[in-house]
Amino acid sequence: MSASPFATILSTLTRQRGVRASLVVDESDGIVIESNLQIGQDGDRVAALAASLYRKARLSAGAARLGTATFMQLEAERGRICAAGHNDLVLVVVADPAANIGMIRVEMIKAAGALP
Amino acid sequence: MADDVRRWSDELARDPASLVFLPLGETLRRQGQLDLALKIAMRGLERHSHNTDAHDLLARIAVDRGELQRAFDEWDMVLRLTPGHLGALKGMAFVRFQQGNAAEAEEYLRQAAEQGGDAEVVAALTNLRSRGTRDAGRGTRDDRSDNHARPAAHVPRPADVPHPAANDPRALFADILGQEEQTALLLDDQGLVLAGIYMGEDGQDVAAEVGAELSGVTDAARRATKHLDIGEWRAIVLETEVAVVTMAPSAGDGLLVVAASKATPLGLVRRVLDRCLDRARQWLEGSQ
Amino acid sequence: MTITAVETWVEAPLRKFVEEARTVLGLLLHPSGQVVAQFGFARAVDVMSACALAAAIHASSGELGKQLEGKAFRGLHHPGRDRQLYLAEAATSRGAFIFLTVFDQESSFGLVRMYFDTFCKDLAAAAPPMSHQPEVVLEDRFEHELNRNLAALFGRG
Repeated sequence: MSASPFATILSTLTRQRGVRASLVVDESDGIVIESNLQIGQDGDRVAALAASLYRKARLSAGAARLGTATFMQLEAERGRICAAGHNDLVLVVVADPAANIGMIRVEMIKAAGALP
Repeated sequence: MADDVRRWSDELARDPASLVFLPLGETLRRQGQLDLALKIAMRGLERHSHNTDAHDLLARIAVDRGELQRAFDEWDMVLRLTPGHLGALKGMAFVRFQQGNAAEAEEYLRQAAEQGGDAEVVAALTNLRSRGTRDAGRGTRDDRSDNHARPAAHVPRPADVPHPAANDPRALFADILGQEEQTALLLDDQGLVLAGIYMGEDGQDVAAEVGAELSGVTDAARRATKHLDIGEWRAIVLETEVAVVTMAPSAGDGLLVVAASKATPLGLVRRVLDRCLDRARQWLEGSQ
Repeated sequence: MTITAVETWVEAPLRKFVEEARTVLGLLLHPSGQVVAQFGFARAVDVMSACALAAAIHASSGELGKQLEGKAFRGLHHPGRDRQLYLAEAATSRGAFIFLTVFDQESSFGLVRMYFDTFCKDLAAAAPPMSHQPEVVLEDRFEHELNRNLAALFGRG
């Protein structure tokens, strides 16, 4: 059985230090298309909430005439959510607060550009 | 009128196929109860899909709801059912005019005039012709969130920003922002501007609009952090093709927004955000 | 958003769902088609129609699931152009309920499904214990029960 087209992308992201979960999500539905999760991560929940947040941010930035969104990061006390979209797909990463966001960001922007 | 509405509602409940949905829907539309009027019209159309007046009603409701293309489509159906329908021709002319397509608007008005259109039609046609606009076939694109269709994005340059007096809240962050291509806004918990300024390309202060759009993001952020159990949110960084926007919660459930050009290093934008947050906190405490 | 309920214990879980999922319409009903609670509907006749349809769809899709997999499907999702529909069952100690909700761009299927899972837990936790065996609603009483519930929901009880 051949691997999904997103397996390599997600595997590269999850290998980054501090990454707990990486997913490819349908932006409008908030449904997981492919995921690579550590134990204890609820992929469906992450997908629904992260996609909704990214979509809201993207539309708001557009309406405020700030251009097309390329990358979003939400920092919280105990974690970070990063998202990068292309067409109707969103690449989502959940990471520890201490994760190397600079590296994760670079990998995500590169990977988002490769999404169909 | 309230008695009529009640009587029509009761009759419709008794007999869902009754045509009283037409006067009921129209009355509700005139009263501004557009959601209810729409429901009534849609249900009536389910049973009377070839009723001209039903499609006409739906078109008028759609106009009131700001759904111009839908209104146009419904009037188009009216014309298919009843060729030369005067109301449909006038309606379609109105929609095309609103969409900036004067040429098509004129054509529909001309057809309406031929169908025995009233003085209103003649006046509109004369007016349109005297404007001399010749927008040949410029239709409207589907208004989905396609950012490529919007005017170029814009982060204010210092030269664009007027210089309010030092005690003016609009100048609260001026010394922190300096001459860099960036701007800051402090919003309250309703998304209304408390301090800061944001100049649009046309030189108008668009802080209120920008603030309102961006403040909606924090609701989604709160929801996400709550349900993923990652604690309170601290900041959002959003990168676009031309800008970096950072947002952070401020005192009193407000929101601080800093927007900078894409060329600004991310680390620097975060530092500006932190400094603006401190300034906002001191200012809010001082104003209590 | 106004929520009206025939059985008051369902209100709190339903209100929480509405506030979080931000859906447009919702119905909670018995599998027989009797309405238990609603939000977003303007008229009793709409509730009645929606309940009848929801019960029928739930019954037939349940049978389909059993034919395919030996058990009923978890839920049903219909994406429309501007609005979408989600229909699923919620189990409690007082029996199963059918939940139907309609949402638009303000929400998403992923969010609705996520909040529905929470709603099921909240509903099960809120269900008061049965003090007696549930009545079997006979056909000749069905109409009476339905009308009574609709009157309660629309303030004419």
